[in-house]
Amino acid sequence: MQAATTAMMAQTKDLELVIRHVLAGLGHGIHAGRERGAGVEFSEYRAYAPGDEWRRVDWKLLARADRYFVREAERDSHVAVWLVLDATASMSEPSREINGIDKLWFARTVLACVAAIAQRQGDAFGLLILSDGKVEFTPASRGPRQLQRVLAAMAKAEPLGQLPSAETLRASLHFARAPSMIFAASDFLDWPSPLSEAVLRLRAMRHDVRLLTLRTQAEVDATFKSGAGYRDPERDDGLHRMSNADREHYKQQSRAHFDGVVASCRQNNIVHYEARIEQPLGGVLRSWLQLAGARAK
Amino acid sequence: MIVSSYPWWWLALPVLLLPIWWHRQKRQRLKAEPLATARFLPSAPPAQLRVWQWRDKVLLLVRCLLLVALIAWLAATIFPLRGDTVLVDAGADKAWADQQIAAAGFGAASRIDLPPAALQWLRANERDWRPDARFLLIARADQIAMPARVPQFSHQVELRTQSAAHNEPSSDRAAREQQIAVAAPEARGAAWRSLFAAFDVAGGASIHYALNAEPNARTSLIIWDQANVAPPAGWRAPNWWIATAPTAFPELAAATVMTINGIALKYADTPRGRLWTSDAFPPRDAATARALYEAWQLLSSATPSPGYAMPPQTFATARSTLPAITDAKPATWLALVLLALFILERTLTHARRN
Repeated sequence: MQAATTAMMAQTKDLELVIRHVLAGLGHGIHAGRERGAGVEFSEYRAYAPGDEWRRVDWKLLARADRYFVREAERDSHVAVWLVLDATASMSEPSREINGIDKLWFARTVLACVAAIAQRQGDAFGLLILSDGKVEFTPASRGPRQLQRVLAAMAKAEPLGQLPSAETLRASLHFARAPSMIFAASDFLDWPSPLSEAVLRLRAMRHDVRLLTLRTQAEVDATFKSGAGYRDPERDDGLHRMSNADREHYKQQSRAHFDGVVASCRQNNIVHYEARIEQPLGGVLRSWLQLAGARAK
Repeated sequence: MIVSSYPWWWLALPVLLLPIWWHRQKRQRLKAEPLATARFLPSAPPAQLRVWQWRDKVLLLVRCLLLVALIAWLAATIFPLRGDTVLVDAGADKAWADQQIAAAGFGAASRIDLPPAALQWLRANERDWRPDARFLLIARADQIAMPARVPQFSHQVELRTQSAAHNEPSSDRAAREQQIAVAAPEARGAAWRSLFAAFDVAGGASIHYALNAEPNARTSLIIWDQANVAPPAGWRAPNWWIATAPTAFPELAAATVMTINGIALKYADTPRGRLWTSDAFPPRDAATARALYEAWQLLSSATPSPGYAMPPQTFATARSTLPAITDAKPATWLALVLLALFILERTLTHARRN
């Protein structure tokens, strides 16, 4: 049932539809905002844009001016939310159980939900896509248009190449002056890597860093087809074999690696959540955010 | 030993590396699936992953053979495969020829017809024979002209000619009197007699034609005009004119056709002599008779035996290199092999794809 829902969600190109589906009943926010609701202190009117909530439309002004205006409130959430999407070649790893979903799809959808939550809370949010050795940077901003921009950028991301070099990534971290929350979704198969260095650096600068490690069920259980040869999409180190005798070795190696990741995160007080992409998306999102909330207390 | 007319084509052999390289590449690529966590698996040498190796090997072999055949075809390669050969003059006495062949030790050799200008033909074509092959030429005494220089062959060539004693006197040594034997029914015999009476007068009466009922040793021409009757076995003459339907002469089925002076003539060489037949035998009017006379005069000077005939002798191997090949044509069977290999290659590729 869950698998069918996930497979169905993977079929749609409309990220907003998926967000609405996932966020239905997921009422709580990312962080404890100082203000609740939209527009406590009136600041200005703004022309209505698709995506604005109907209850923020000033109906009296509509009667007078025959145009839709939205009451813009003074928001003083100082927290910016940064979404980091890993779109390297290894993120194209598909689920071997549910047709049509892969790690990039899962990461993109989870981050889109986070963006939607941030937008509803009135937070500024920006996006970094790490793909093919480059960083695609969308500056942080507020509002429904920003959400459209971010969703469009994420929908365009293709799993290509490797992570950007440490220098490139460091040059893209100029946003880190203001206090912010960083949500990074990746497979974290490289650790240490330029991304892990950047994450640790941000944490050292007292940003709130939350990592989502994505794996597949087949990776956890080591249930790959044996007898075939495999190659790493990001490394050119020849072929690897998978025989029944290698399963235990594989499990050991991957467990050791991810234990290392978890230890490193705990040591630096970074929120880390490991999910399999076959799990229901809403549940993963909730658990990830709850984990963050628990740490924030 | 293989001979190529355009040996530079063999420099294209490195093209064979292409299919070999493709096959290696393909095998490695086909068998590897991308897997993000492949780094946690032990690495494997690519050789262990080639499961379908045998099928690819067959295809690779066929492709390489195809390329080699193509290059060999382009290089017009000649494969000297033919062994000992006897070239037999169709006009030579068959019994005598068999005896000569057996005496020369060519009993098991293959036989082909003696081509015109046999020595030149042999010189140009002996590249088709194995280096250790021998030739035996069996011919009448006056069939092969003596060349100005001793011909150089890369094989041993033996020439045996039927001595003139066994043969009828040839026309160029004929006396001024020509002996003609006419075997014809009475009504047609008159026509033939009047024709040769006219021949007597023609050409300044230089040659007298004597008509007999039966051939003798000096008969140069036999006129055979008796329908459905085979001539007696002992009759021989350098030339025969066959005026009836040639049922008694099966050799005429493969006769050569020539038209001289408006008269269509067919001739074939047999042990009995050269047989001629034409629709103009016997001529029905003076104009045809005149045309026939002129044609016969032309023929007797155009197809004479050579002035100096080659005596029987043996040529030892005299040259080591073959002459430059000017009109090289690639072997037909090589083209067929090429086609077959191509079909095989397409079939195998198709089978592998599905």
